[in-house]
Amino acid sequence: MGELLRTDGLTKRFRGIVANDCIDFTIGLGEVRCIIGPNGAGKTTLISMISGHLSPSAGRIWFKNQEITTRSVVRRAKMGIARKFQTPSVFDRLTVHQNLELASFGKPMEVAERAVRLEEVLAITRLCEMRRTVASTLSHGQRQWLEIAMLLANRAELLLLDEPTAGMTAEETRATGNLIRMLASRHNLTVLIIEHDINFVRDLRAPVTVLHLGRVLTSGSLDEVAANEQVRDVYLGRE
Amino acid sequence: MTEGGIKRRGVVTSLGQGFLRSETTVAIVLFALLAGLPVVVSGYTIYILPQYLLYGMLAMSLGLLWGFVGILSFGQAAFFALGAYAMGLSETWGLGPNPAYVGLMASLVTGAVLAAAIGYFLFSVDVRHVYFVLVTLALSIMVEQITVSQSQVTGGYNGMYVPRMSLLTGASGALSLSKDAAIYYFILPVVATVYSLLRWVLARPFGKVLVGIRENEDRLIALGFRTPLYKTAAFAVSGAVAGLAGALYGTHANFVSPSLGGVLFSTQVVVWVAIGGRESLLGALLGAVAVSALSTYLSALIPNYWQLALGIVFIAVIIAFKGGVAGAVMRVAERSAGRKEHG
Ligand SMILES: Nc1ncnc2c1ncn2[C@@H]1O[C@H](COP(=O)(O)OP(=O)(O)O)[C@@H](O)[C@H]1O
Ligand SMILES: [Mg+2]
Repeated sequence: MGELLRTDGLTKRFRGIVANDCIDFTIGLGEVRCIIGPNGAGKTTLISMISGHLSPSAGRIWFKNQEITTRSVVRRAKMGIARKFQTPSVFDRLTVHQNLELASFGKPMEVAERAVRLEEVLAITRLCEMRRTVASTLSHGQRQWLEIAMLLANRAELLLLDEPTAGMTAEETRATGNLIRMLASRHNLTVLIIEHDINFVRDLRAPVTVLHLGRVLTSGSLDEVAANEQVRDVYLGRE
Repeated sequence: MTEGGIKRRGVVTSLGQGFLRSETTVAIVLFALLAGLPVVVSGYTIYILPQYLLYGMLAMSLGLLWGFVGILSFGQAAFFALGAYAMGLSETWGLGPNPAYVGLMASLVTGAVLAAAIGYFLFSVDVRHVYFVLVTLALSIMVEQITVSQSQVTGGYNGMYVPRMSLLTGASGALSLSKDAAIYYFILPVVATVYSLLRWVLARPFGKVLVGIRENEDRLIALGFRTPLYKTAAFAVSGAVAGLAGALYGTHANFVSPSLGGVLFSTQVVVWVAIGGRESLLGALLGAVAVSALSTYLSALIPNYWQLALGIVFIAVIIAFKGGVAGAVMRVAERSAGRKEHG
């Protein structure tokens, strides 16, 4: 499995607060990785530096063996890095199909290729029946799915998902897990997920990185991580 | 939260294909009626209608920007006036075999290039909202001031005479548009063509991206769209349309003066579009025609109070229908379509 993304000493300071402190992190092509950690641990900050929405105070980022530390959000998106925001960000007044079509315009595609891709995306995100529905009338969970679908329509290669299951029912959460596993195994996408729901993380059976106070506390399988004394302290608030 | 906001308005506004189809039908009927009008009507109506239609073209240039990209400009009159001066100067200096064509081209290019330059400069450093409004407001003020101060070229306060254009050169009067009906039949198809072209642009992927910018620009940026370039292109198209309308206005009215580029006139354009409905190009066009016609009618009927009466109409329309008249029609159409669907 080749390396897709690497960060080297990535640091972000906000007036006094060190939100990310010297984070070294790699993710391989086709890998699914979860980032967990308590509120304020610096998870969103890390994703924002990878997507280009925040520029690091120190450190460097490589994607597909090119250094992207100073590249703009647009250039990174064109390279295949796409982000789902913590609060769903879709085109509220457009229909599901119009949302996906618009996202697909971000990459050059033949007309026929685009049509096929949109149908495929609608099918795997279970939005087929909703294609004519206006985005603002979707349930919260469906909006989350729509935003993920937009990243797929946009032909993203690295998906950065910031709490994708927030507001979802248990059944929707399970389906999201299945979707993400399928995207990685069958479509060779790489997925970096921030998640709160430990059951969801367990179902994903993906490696976990624990962030705490801006630092990587530990990485490994969920079981390994859960056995870690420091992690228990953080999660049980024994510190 | 957004859901609540939408529900409060009573009906979900999508950018329905249904509405666009019915707008196309209305537009075809309307332009056909206008084409037949000189057969039954003559005199002042046929003289003045092309001017109203050119105001409508100016309103569409703003409608494209404000209604579809979400960028409000108070500088549309500046492009309009520059177009009219370009026409006047081209005629005065006798440029080319037919100065009118040079004037039309020059107005188009001036509007496009100036708007592209301003747009690129502002959008690439992410100037948005009120700040953009202020810059375009300043543009109007500058154009008005410059046309006043450069009086040896522009005629200053007194304005500039612009002759009626003719379609061919050579023997005087050959295909001249000096007759009211003749220029009517020149301007009407131009306006109809511009309307169709803008509708076509909006139906292209480019146009859909513009609407995406209005709806959620940050989303588009994160999907890899260079939105400043799209906004610059939209502003350039808008400037070109406004400039062309101005050139035609100049040759129709035989006159251009600095107030044509001023803040007052720019504000009027915003009012037309707000009343007509900014999310419909036809709404913007008809808003300009209807308000101009109403102004003329009221100013003859109640010379002392017409501006007050018009102001009250403006306020009433804007309070009653947020999306202008076209927006209200759109919602009624959707509501009845929804009722049919649900039995
Ligand atoms: N734009 C910002 N300005 C100042 N402080 C910020 C900003 N964004 C995040 N922070 C701070 O950085 C820390 C990490 O935040 P964040 O990355 O959002 O955490 P998480 O997503 O893990 O909950 C928090 O203490 C937060 O208050
Ligand atoms: Mg967060």
